Amino acid sequence: MSSRTDGNRDSLKYSGVLTPDTASSESLKDLLHHLLNEGGFQAVFTLRKTPVAGRFCYSLISDPALLSEAVPFHPVMPVQGARALTELTRDGIPEGIVAVLLRPCELRAFIENVKQVQGAFDNLMVISCICPGVIPAARHIREAGKELLKRFESSVAEGTIPEDARAACSYCTDFTPPAHTDMTVVLAGDSASAEVGTIYLHSELAISSAEALNSYRIEISTGELRPPESLIRARRSNLSLLLSGKEDTPYGLSSLVDVFSACIGCRGCREVCPLCHCIICDYETDRTRYSPSLVKKLARTKGAVRVPSGTVQFQIGRMVHISASCVSCGQCSDACPVGIPVADIFARAGRSVQETLGYRPGANLEETPPMAAYQVNELESITD
Amino acid sequence: MKGARMSPDLSLRDELRNLAAASLSSGFCTSVMMPVRTDSGDYIWSLITDPVKLSGADPLPPVMTVNGAKALSSFARGREADRILAFLRPCEARAAVELSKLEQLDQEKVFMVTMDCTGAVPLRDWLENRELEPDISSPSSLRPLCRQCVSFTGEGDICLTDHGDPGILIPLTDKGVSLLEALDYEITEDCDAWKAWTAELVRERDVSAAAGRAEMSTAYAGLDGLAKLFSGCIGCRSCRTVCPICYCRLCFIDMKDRRFPASDHLRRSERAGASRLSSNTLLFHIGRMAHMSLSCVSCGMCEDACPSDIPIGRLVGMVSERTTDLFDYRAGGDRGGLLPLNTFEKDELHEFED
Repeated sequence: MSSRTDGNRDSLKYSGVLTPDTASSESLKDLLHHLLNEGGFQAVFTLRKTPVAGRFCYSLISDPALLSEAVPFHPVMPVQGARALTELTRDGIPEGIVAVLLRPCELRAFIENVKQVQGAFDNLMVISCICPGVIPAARHIREAGKELLKRFESSVAEGTIPEDARAACSYCTDFTPPAHTDMTVVLAGDSASAEVGTIYLHSELAISSAEALNSYRIEISTGELRPPESLIRARRSNLSLLLSGKEDTPYGLSSLVDVFSACIGCRGCREVCPLCHCIICDYETDRTRYSPSLVKKLARTKGAVRVPSGTVQFQIGRMVHISASCVSCGQCSDACPVGIPVADIFARAGRSVQETLGYRPGANLEETPPMAAYQVNELESITD
Repeated sequence: MKGARMSPDLSLRDELRNLAAASLSSGFCTSVMMPVRTDSGDYIWSLITDPVKLSGADPLPPVMTVNGAKALSSFARGREADRILAFLRPCEARAAVELSKLEQLDQEKVFMVTMDCTGAVPLRDWLENRELEPDISSPSSLRPLCRQCVSFTGEGDICLTDHGDPGILIPLTDKGVSLLEALDYEITEDCDAWKAWTAELVRERDVSAAAGRAEMSTAYAGLDGLAKLFSGCIGCRSCRTVCPICYCRLCFIDMKDRRFPASDHLRRSERAGASRLSSNTLLFHIGRMAHMSLSCVSCGMCEDACPSDIPIGRLVGMVSERTTDLFDYRAGGDRGGLLPLNTFEKDELHEFED
């Protein structure tokens, strides 16, 4: 498959535009039907309903009849798509072409995983979106019902950040797709924008797959995909609030100790993280685990010690391992059973690491992850 | 069965704190493991050697944030000659016994003090309202598994009960007797009131437990039922990580031989029309039950930790009731005993033969 972008996520180029006859979620499904029936695609990878109302999962769909259960880009992220796609492509690639529907942060995480040899792009056609954000999974479950969804959708339609969105979505400024996207579905726009439902085509594969589509009008024109201005302004301002610390984000060792005093050690944050792929986490090895004799020594010298020990060590250690690649998807906060704003803490640390190292996680496959790139002259600002 | 009188003017909470302080200052034990309330108002486990640090300790927290047996097994082993007094809920003491059988903690080092357990409030409810207190006479205030629990007292080396006048410290093992004697308690008190209370509550709970298990087995019977139950599983594995019994460093589900090439996933999808990714949700949960259900003490930690509100503790509790019945085994009982799967008997389980 040909390279589709110049590697700058702010200017993803397109070479064709699909306009739906009537903008509805059904027209996107028409496209998926077309890919399976006429396009010769082997399967579609998308969010899908489960037998239980209100619960969703990622799924491969091969039978076009089962596309009735597909809910592409439904605003909830039960599993980070990169994690599911890594499971699919890590140990051997598909024989035929699979259309994969991923949000921009999921795609960026997948790009990071491919760099770490945890997956591959071969025989995937990526359909991403201009993303309005998702509803936290727990809220989605507990406030199940049409009201929540309606509230979310009407605020997206007004071009504002939904109040019910994940915190991480409210300050996400990377909500347009990165490189390696074949199609972009516009799901969020300015209030004035009438183009929600439009699909931008970024590759020859995308154009050839969509050419004979009935419910869309295809137009061959080139340009650059830009994020909607008012949305990016609102999100940038939320992001600067987070980074300046005005949002009360825990920072510094003592506030980390405070905020993680609620941690029950379930490690859900690590397990749902699309980037944490180690079979045995460093913090489960004897090299880093607090040995019984160390715990007892600490109890003797300090008078008391928290057990199991190493709560903050684990969090800081995980931060060191993934902060350069963290795409701030917010999945860790979603999974936390005690409501610790893990994603906010990681987003703040991540930004600062990424800016220091001049690295943009998930922007493209070409940028080498900083820890894998040695440079003779670097980081003099933090050298004595 | 005899016990020692509590001080008439002390609450159960204060008596427990006193016991901790006395065991430390008398040198009977080297350290005490107890829940402590942090400055942020959370409950954590603390290993305490300095009696001054007992001031923030609360032996009766309203919630269970970490199963105490898990905290205990993180340090209660090794070569040092030490003696640890651990203040545990009855289910935590039972989990500690199982972990000892699994060679994950050295029971010789540990003196387990338990108490009449009121049960815990669901972690999520407590996070929303930090004033919540469990009320044993109002089952709706308790976690669903606590409502069904029939092992709410009488575990460990010593059990403290306020069902007596005044309350009683009941030694249940020789270790318990040695602790009470070392601290100059006189073991002369009858425990009849405690026994009567226990028997009555067990009768009540047996009924609601049977009803609860029946409800689970109808609602989630068979593979389709399990698929329904776990449809909302996000794969966070919190149930496994917080489980006191799941101690494997590398779980079977994370091993490389559980990984499959894309062609296998696609084949599966073509056969069924569609297939879920993550693909191994049910395999994980069924496998975990096969591995730990015999030792499950129904502490409910898995259910508290599940961010998707899956009643997983009640499911595993129901399964464990059946598997332990099959082997005539009680998790956390018979402290010197062996695990059923580590015991070979020539004559058993004929009902499963052809």
